Amino acid sequence: MPRTPTPKQLRRLIAEREESRGLLIAFEGPDGSGKTTQRKLLTRWLESENHDVVSTRWASSALVKPMLKVRKKIRTLSIEEYSLLHAVDFRHRVETSILPALWAGKTVLADRYLFTALARDAARGLDLDWLLHAYSPLLWPDLVIYFSMTPEDSRRRIASTRAPHFYEAGQDVTGIDDPLASYGRFIDRVVTEYENLSVVFQFVTVDAGDAVYRQHTRVRELVAKAEKRPWSTFSEEAVEEWLIKSHIQDA
Amino acid sequence: MADQVTYPGRLIAIDGSRGKDVAVAAGDLVAALKRDGIECVVSRWDASGLFTDLEAGSRGDRNVSIRTLSLVYAADLAFRLRWEIRPVLEAGGVVVAAPYTDTAATFGTVCGLDAEWLRQLLRFAPAADLRGLAQERKIDAPWKRRTDRGYPEYGALMLEAGAPKRVSKAGRRRMMELLDRARGRTLFHLSNKGIGLLQKALTDSRTEASRRSASRPRNGRK
Repeated sequence: MPRTPTPKQLRRLIAEREESRGLLIAFEGPDGSGKTTQRKLLTRWLESENHDVVSTRWASSALVKPMLKVRKKIRTLSIEEYSLLHAVDFRHRVETSILPALWAGKTVLADRYLFTALARDAARGLDLDWLLHAYSPLLWPDLVIYFSMTPEDSRRRIASTRAPHFYEAGQDVTGIDDPLASYGRFIDRVVTEYENLSVVFQFVTVDAGDAVYRQHTRVRELVAKAEKRPWSTFSEEAVEEWLIKSHIQDA
Repeated sequence: MADQVTYPGRLIAIDGSRGKDVAVAAGDLVAALKRDGIECVVSRWDASGLFTDLEAGSRGDRNVSIRTLSLVYAADLAFRLRWEIRPVLEAGGVVVAAPYTDTAATFGTVCGLDAEWLRQLLRFAPAADLRGLAQERKIDAPWKRRTDRGYPEYGALMLEAGAPKRVSKAGRRRMMELLDRARGRTLFHLSNKGIGLLQKALTDSRTEASRRSASRPRNGRK
């Protein structure tokens, strides 16, 4: 079996891949802000421009989704368990789908990224330091597009389409029986957390109240001029860890 | 942010490099305590069923990292704390957590994770009042790769493809060394004599309520 690459070799591999690797773009925002619509429109546009695109959605890892779904349904998760299971899902997707796609030069569109967990779990009362720790080592997106809307608008949009689920409505922490009333209170906290995160993680804001086409035009502009956040500066530990694991498996 | 949690009960942690040995040590300790008239509750690995579900979900594709497994361990521990450990401690009872945090921390370290990352991840778990180390058997053997024995055996199976060297015989030996390092607290080696000593320490300690440092990762918001 070949030897595990040395730290120096790993750094060289990462530096060499920087130019050909794909772009990681995260779509963030409250429920009902139109992230998924914009992600789909962008996918179509990028594919028409001959980009290879991979999309990844929140809580979608084949390994974790079933166990998360069952536990959400029977409402047995504590705040910590809820948070940790989403961290499991996220880590597994980073290692098995996001990083391999980026390494192969594909553009990855993440329909919600770790900021969703940070905003929701901090709104549930968890300590941000601990959350960042659970999600570390961080794989920084090259671009975070935040679809901004007021908590009232988010509540209105959700109310017009469906009743939010128990955890989505934050009923586990508000203790309010009515899902919409609970959502109204919970989303207020979530948006506050998002706004704090947007400063720290340099989100680019798109007004979710604009017409869909205008938002899409803005998203295209942002993506067209997006620059890579160098892995060697921002995400070295996460990429190195994945490279070591992949190297051993491939050997 | 490290809040002090006070419980009238007592928490005994038993860790070890093999699930079978931990289970045997817990059984022996519980029997000995029972003979002394002390009833206790045992909290075991995978009480939440998360590891069982994870294995079922992987359908043989074991592309899982040690970091992912450690997060699952933390989620399982959060479940055990909520349903099995904290209620008993709050009621003044005795809980034997077999295994507890040291098993995850040392196995994770052996498999290449930063010890500090593991410590921080598991910081929501209250420190044990007494720590026991299961008597290790078959010390020269590597881990059996199976899902039904304990966390290290489960990890050895799941990580076989991703970290084969780390889950080897040498890895197990390294884990035993790490477990053996007492960190500011007496570590009881759970032979017959060790169980007797731990029993005595438990009886002595039950005279006053304990304050243990736990750092529940909550920001106090209601």
